[in-house]
Amino acid sequence: MKPGAIIPANAASLTSLTVTMAVMCYLACLAIGALILVDRAVTSWTSGLAREMTIQVRVVRNASIPEEVEKARAIAAAFPGIIEVDVLDESEGARLLEPWLGTRSLEGLPVPRLLRIVTDTDSPPDVVALENAISEVKGARLDTHQKWEAELTRMARALSAVSYAILFLISISAVAIVVFATRAVLQANRHIVDLLHLVGARDGYIARQIDGRFLRTGLISGFIGVGLGLFTFLLLGLVGSGSGSEGGVAAASRGLLFSTPSIAIWSYALLFAVPLAATLICLITARITLMRRLGVVT
Amino acid sequence: MLRLENVGLRYGDGPEILHDVSFALRTGDFYFLTGPSGAGKSSLLKLLFLALRPTRGALRIFGEDVGSLSHSKLPPIRRRIGVVFQEFRLLDHLSTYDNVALPLRVAGKSEASYRRDVMDLLDWVGLAEKSSDFPPVLSGGEKQRAAIARAVIAKPQLLLADEPTGNVDPVLAKRLLHLFLELNRLGTTMLIATHDKGLVRQAERPVLHLEQGSLNLQ
Repeated sequence: MKPGAIIPANAASLTSLTVTMAVMCYLACLAIGALILVDRAVTSWTSGLAREMTIQVRVVRNASIPEEVEKARAIAAAFPGIIEVDVLDESEGARLLEPWLGTRSLEGLPVPRLLRIVTDTDSPPDVVALENAISEVKGARLDTHQKWEAELTRMARALSAVSYAILFLISISAVAIVVFATRAVLQANRHIVDLLHLVGARDGYIARQIDGRFLRTGLISGFIGVGLGLFTFLLLGLVGSGSGSEGGVAAASRGLLFSTPSIAIWSYALLFAVPLAATLICLITARITLMRRLGVVT
Repeated sequence: MLRLENVGLRYGDGPEILHDVSFALRTGDFYFLTGPSGAGKSSLLKLLFLALRPTRGALRIFGEDVGSLSHSKLPPIRRRIGVVFQEFRLLDHLSTYDNVALPLRVAGKSEASYRRDVMDLLDWVGLAEKSSDFPPVLSGGEKQRAAIARAVIAKPQLLLADEPTGNVDPVLAKRLLHLFLELNRLGTTMLIATHDKGLVRQAERPVLHLEQGSLNLQ
């Protein structure tokens, strides 16, 4: 004969806790997804920027632009650590200015010429030495993109900090909800708890009769949250799949789910850490609350 | 085994329910506790089964000073005390069998180790056929017997009973008295609060009379 459960399962339902925890887990998944996407985007941007530099040659009096451009190209091409120098012609320069000046003819305007430099990431050039070498060219200036890289990094750090703050707040809220739910279960079963105490049950024994339900609640709500999170990323990916856009939320969501195995496995591992965290939060919080409350209920 | 010295008890800021209660029980004693309703019998029993602590005076059980006992030290002492509650306090969601087995279960014993003892005791109190029934379908007398069975199943050293024969017929009351006397003969110290003068007469045991919160030996 299997003994009946000492704390009845239908006393003080944990359905509300399961729903609330599932929403918390869903929000946590979105925050983790945002963290992964920001981290991946910044890595992609900064690695691109780190591989490239630009030499800008402005129009100066008493100097021939084509000659100065050629001089800059020669210096850059011969410089150690530079593997490619690409001179952008005037039409390409004009196209870069289109967002500001439109498609009108730029003839007669002192539009600077640009040289795109691709560096060897394994053995990058000495930037200071390159700047010194380029300074011999009239009107030339080396742009290492450090300013952009720093701003991107700053923005990414801010976004990451916001995501971590959201995760922290979700965790705090989850703990508070579990504390309330635990107290409610204890209150609803007060007559049983009192009797167990009087027949000699230790607090740990009583806590074990109750916290198993919180373990199940954490697991179930965690998996519901992750399921909803994955469904959301899938939906976002599918909604934008016909736009042909390379970037945006749709592409990022697809990247989160269907990127290379080495990257995807990390995404899935982080997302599936949510049910684990939810279970631990439920179990540990419920146990601590129970032990503290049982200590004052004699 | 149990000693009270000038024990007083009050609930919150209310009036004192028990005043200067002093008595001692030695191993093997059998006392009845009598007194009119509201005299404080249930409160005194609550002190003795450690549901309350005295607001003044000294209470020692099994050599331990209850006033200074920490919460974690209570379970081992409570396991040595069997209690029959006046309102039974059976758990409605557990079968009669599970209710009776509860003290053994919380003590960590396996179902296989206590199954025989529980069934024998249920048989003895006439509830063998009701072992799978749940308290809401038991009569008052059946609940009373289940509550007594739960109190004695772990062979406590001290048995405290609050009106244990209040809901049973005279025949069963006599049978239960024999159970208490037998347990006492085997070494269990007994304190039974009752209004049943017939029960007291039959047992021929000393009586502690509680009136208006004060205790006298009769």
